Formats: sequence, C-alpha cells, structure tokens
Amino acid sequence: MALLELKGVTKIYQQGKIEVPALRGIDLTVEAGEFTTIFGPSGSGKTTLLNLIGCLDKPTAGTLLFNGRELSQVDKKGLARIRRENIGFIFQSYNLIPVLTAYENVEFAIRLLNKHDKKELKDRVMEILAAVGLEGLENRKPNELSGGQKQRVAIARALVKEPKLILADEPTANLDSKTSEEVLEIMVKMNQELGTTFVFSTHDPRVMEYAARLVEIRDGLISLDRRRDGTGVSH
Amino acid sequence: MFLTKLALKNLIRYRTRTLAVGLIIAFAVFFYILFDALMAGMNEMSYEGIIDYETGHLQIVNSSYWQEEKKLPLDDLIPLDLLRRIKLEEVQGYRGSSAELAFQARLNNGINELPVVGRGVVPEDLLSVFSLADKFVEGEMFSSGEQRVVMGKRLADLMDVGVGDYVILLVRDKNNTFNTIEAEISGLVHTINHNVNNFLVYMPLDVAQEALAVDDVVSKVVVRLDHKEQAPQAAGVLESKLQRLDGDLAVYKWDDTDALSFSSYAATENQIILGIILLIAAIAIINTVILAALERMREIGTMKAMGLDVREIVYLFVIESTGIGVLGGCIGLVMGAVGVWYLVRFGVDFSAMAQLDMTSFGVPVLGKTHGVWNPNAFITVFAFGVAVSFLSSILPGYWAAAKDPIQAIQHR
Repeated sequence: MALLELKGVTKIYQQGKIEVPALRGIDLTVEAGEFTTIFGPSGSGKTTLLNLIGCLDKPTAGTLLFNGRELSQVDKKGLARIRRENIGFIFQSYNLIPVLTAYENVEFAIRLLNKHDKKELKDRVMEILAAVGLEGLENRKPNELSGGQKQRVAIARALVKEPKLILADEPTANLDSKTSEEVLEIMVKMNQELGTTFVFSTHDPRVMEYAARLVEIRDGLISLDRRRDGTGVSH
Repeated sequence: MFLTKLALKNLIRYRTRTLAVGLIIAFAVFFYILFDALMAGMNEMSYEGIIDYETGHLQIVNSSYWQEEKKLPLDDLIPLDLLRRIKLEEVQGYRGSSAELAFQARLNNGINELPVVGRGVVPEDLLSVFSLADKFVEGEMFSSGEQRVVMGKRLADLMDVGVGDYVILLVRDKNNTFNTIEAEISGLVHTINHNVNNFLVYMPLDVAQEALAVDDVVSKVVVRLDHKEQAPQAAGVLESKLQRLDGDLAVYKWDDTDALSFSSYAATENQIILGIILLIAAIAIINTVILAALERMREIGTMKAMGLDVREIVYLFVIESTGIGVLGGCIGLVMGAVGVWYLVRFGVDFSAMAQLDMTSFGVPVLGKTHGVWNPNAFITVFAFGVAVSFLSSILPGYWAAAKDPIQAIQHR
C-alpha cells in the first residue's frame, strides 16, 4: 500500500519578482515499510521534497497524498496534527531540546499523543532508548552526549510514537564514518523490525549502500529511481 | 503538563535572565507596596490632621449653612440653648464637644493685611476636642472674655508678629457693618494641619459674638469621640435626637467633608504608580520573550516539526513569562513586607531628610511618617504583576510561534 503518492508536484519559491522553481513536476510513490534514500547535488531539491513529504510545506502545484489523504486542502493545524501522529523527523544537527534529558526528549514526542498511561509511557521510552543503545544514558542532557549518542536520541524520539513515516535530512552529515554506520544500522534495524517507512536525504555515497531504494534528484526532477531488488525506473 | 514542565525548565536554563527580569518586577512591586504604605500613612495623618484640628468626628450644623460653609455666612447659625438640650454625653464614645463661630476676617498688623478665618471658641472645649494643647510653640491659650487670640506660627511669621504683639481683625458683622477686633496674641501653634498653621485665628467665643453682633449662636458644634470608627453609629443616634428638636439641624461625619482631597490625590498617585509598574513589567517581559524566541528559533522549528501547534508554543512562552512574574512578584512581596515593617515600626522623617517643613507644601506630615499595612496593596500589585506578565507574553509568543517551521529549523 502506498504511504506517499506525489503526482506532478511542483514547488516554486518567490524571491522578489523572480520565481525560482525548486521542484518541477515530481511523480513519486513510496510504499509503506520502504527504506528510501533521496540523493543528489546541493540545490537539486532534496530538502524541498522532504519538507513537502513531511507536511512542513505545501506544493505550488500537483497533488500529494499521505496515507491516501490529499494534503493541499489541509490547513496548518491539520498538517501539525498529521506530523504529530504520523511523522518522525531526524535532523542533521539533532535538534534536541537542551533542557531535557535523553529520556525527556524521547518522552516529549510520545506525550504529545496523549494515549499512553504513565507506566506504559515509561516502558515504551526505556525500550526504545535501549533499542538505540542508550541504556544507562537516559538521564544525560544533550550537552553530556556525543554526536552519535545525540543522533540516537533523535532516532529514538522519532521512533517512539511509532509513526508511519520517518524523515531524515542528512542524518549522518555531522558524524564520523564509524558512528554513521552505527546510526544507519539502527535505522535499518528499526525499519526491518517495526516496518516503519524511512525516507532520508544524503550526499554520502556510503550511506546509500544501506538504502533499499535510491531516488536521485537533479534540477528539481527525479533522474533515477531504483530499488535494490532491481525494480524501478531511470528517468 | 509536560509543556508546563518544559517551560519551567527553560526558566532555570536562563536563570540569570530570569532573575534579572524577575528583579525588575520585584523592585516594581516593592516600590508600589512601599509607596502605598507611605501614602496610606500620610492618609491616616491627613485624616488625623482634619479630625484633630478641623472637623472632629462629627459636626452638628444647620443643613443650609453646610451648603454655604465655604463662604462662612453669619446666617443659619445654631442657638446654643437649643444645643444644650441635646445630651451629647449620652452618645456612645463621646469625649467632648466644642461650639465654634466661624467668620471671615482680615488680619492686620498695622502694615500688612491678610485674609484669615476667625474662630470664636470656648478655650476649654476647644482643647478637649482638638489636639492643640501640646502644639503651642510659644505662649498659651486665652481665657473666655479676653481680647486675645491664638494663631498659627507660620501665619504669625508671615505677618511678622509674635506673642504679646497686638493685631487687628477686620470683620463684617451680622448687619454687614465693618467692625474691628483688636487683640493681643496669646499663643502660637504649629500643627500638621495646613489651615491651622496658615489661616486660622482662634479667639474667645463671647468676644467674637459681640464683634459680629450675633446672639448666643454658633456656626457648628464639633464632637469628639473615642474612635473615628464610632462616627457612623454616633451620627445616627445624634441625627434622631436632632430631628426631635429642629429639623434643619444635621450631623456630618468627619469623612463627609471635602477636605479629604489628599485621599483622592493619594489614590490617583497609586493608580499612576501602578500603571508605571505594569508598563515596566510588560516591557521587561516582551523583551524577554522576543530574546528567548530568537535564541530558541531552532527549538521552535523542531517543536513545530514534531507537531506542536501555535497555541501550544504560545503556551510555553506564556508559562515562562508568568513564572517570571510569579517569581518577581514573590520577591517583591517579601521585600515589600520588610520595607513596610520598617516604615510601620520606625517611620521616615521626610522633613529632616529634605531639611524642609513638609506642612508648608500642604503635605500633612510633621515629624515621622509611619507606614500602614495594606494587605490589599500586596494582593493587587502581585495579581497585576502576574497578570501583566501573562498577558504581555501572548503577542510576542504568537510572533515566535507563527514562524515558518522550515525557516525556524534552518535558523542559525
């Protein structure tokens, strides 16, 4: 079943009187449970595409269906609701809340759903922290964690609410190669164990090795869309 | 609940700023409480100044005279034999009464002339009702029948006369005929009452009645009670006694007089000070929220990406600001309590501090001014401080929360 369906998605930014097209008619379908990497040179439109998929922005033209729901008619509050319930974000710079501990950063995401009792919530947070290898570090604040540990907290925060989709924008850009591999392995593991759909953008060719599907964007258009199993099309 | 916890953690995160803004609010609250206590103290002194030297607790006056009192007419006066039939001593809390005949006069020292208010009084009664006995800075009280007067020291200084000197009072009598009263100054007084110090000249009632060509009548009778709180009840009792004697006579309480202008002045001052304080608090809070929002723009972006809506982000800022307001308010209350305790116990001598006699400016202060505890001021300023902290954070909170999430996440 398709989690994401993009048909003729265009995004044009207005810079003064000049129109700058960032995406020029994207057709893309992402199935639930896929592990997809979007790659391409800087300025190709990767982040714009991720922002649209993440319900942070709306396309200028075209249709975007999330879990079968057309998003162009959804207001800001509705988009926030979709993000809260269905989408987890992992950022390049981790973006953890500095005053909260690792445990609280993860707890924050699940608290927003208001559907767990106290015991359930604690068990769930501890479980996910253990799954990303942060057992024993739950009371540390972000400034007491290494880059890799911070990104694991960010992954745990994205995963804890069991979203349908996790979006990661260059999640390994600030990490060394060994830590990058560890973080990617966690994401692959979670994708396989929980069946969560992952879409992430990257520049790094080594990172692409982990993806089950590669989508290349150039000048706002998809130039390559290939699955590891050999299916897919080159544009 | 989690958002409240996060907001409170942010308060501790920026503890220096929280404390700095909290202290601004604390000083504002402290200043208001102190100001209010002093104003209340001055109010009390002004009440005492009016009760002790002008109105007593009750005044028995012809109601027509009361309407025209400022002109000090010689009409609608009260016959003393009528008053003698009222047994004032039966009124609960009664301490004394003084009949007085007030009239316009011009005080002449042979060279200069000033308009004054003459008061014909029975000296023993006057001293039993008004607190003049220990306010003589020179000389003594006259006796009935003597051609002697007592006046304020400041008036005497202005006229360049002293005890033992003779002055002339020019008056118009009941028949509108000019008359003069030549009298020796028997004593000079200095009180917290501006009018007594500057405009009043006391003389024996019988001398005044003769000079004004009136019978055994007076303008009013001033009654002194044990406490000012007894005035309303005593007024009711007296009122019913008077109704039986003469329907035109009425009883007025000390706070019926329009001489209580200081009270309304103080209330206005309080409102202005409160307004300034609220403005200071609002500016401090708005500034803090904007700074906090700019510093935490990426956090705002992250929270929006996580699905927080505008209202929830505004809530974070509002709770933070309200927290600062509560903290500042509490510190201010403690500081205010210490300050008021000091003012109540030790008082402040403004005259000594400024090397000036405050009564010369119409401020009813002689010696030390003591503060007065006013729990309402504590509650009011705390509530307003917190409310302003709460309200003034909403708009900048919206400003922060309305940021585009993509730009906020990418903010550097």
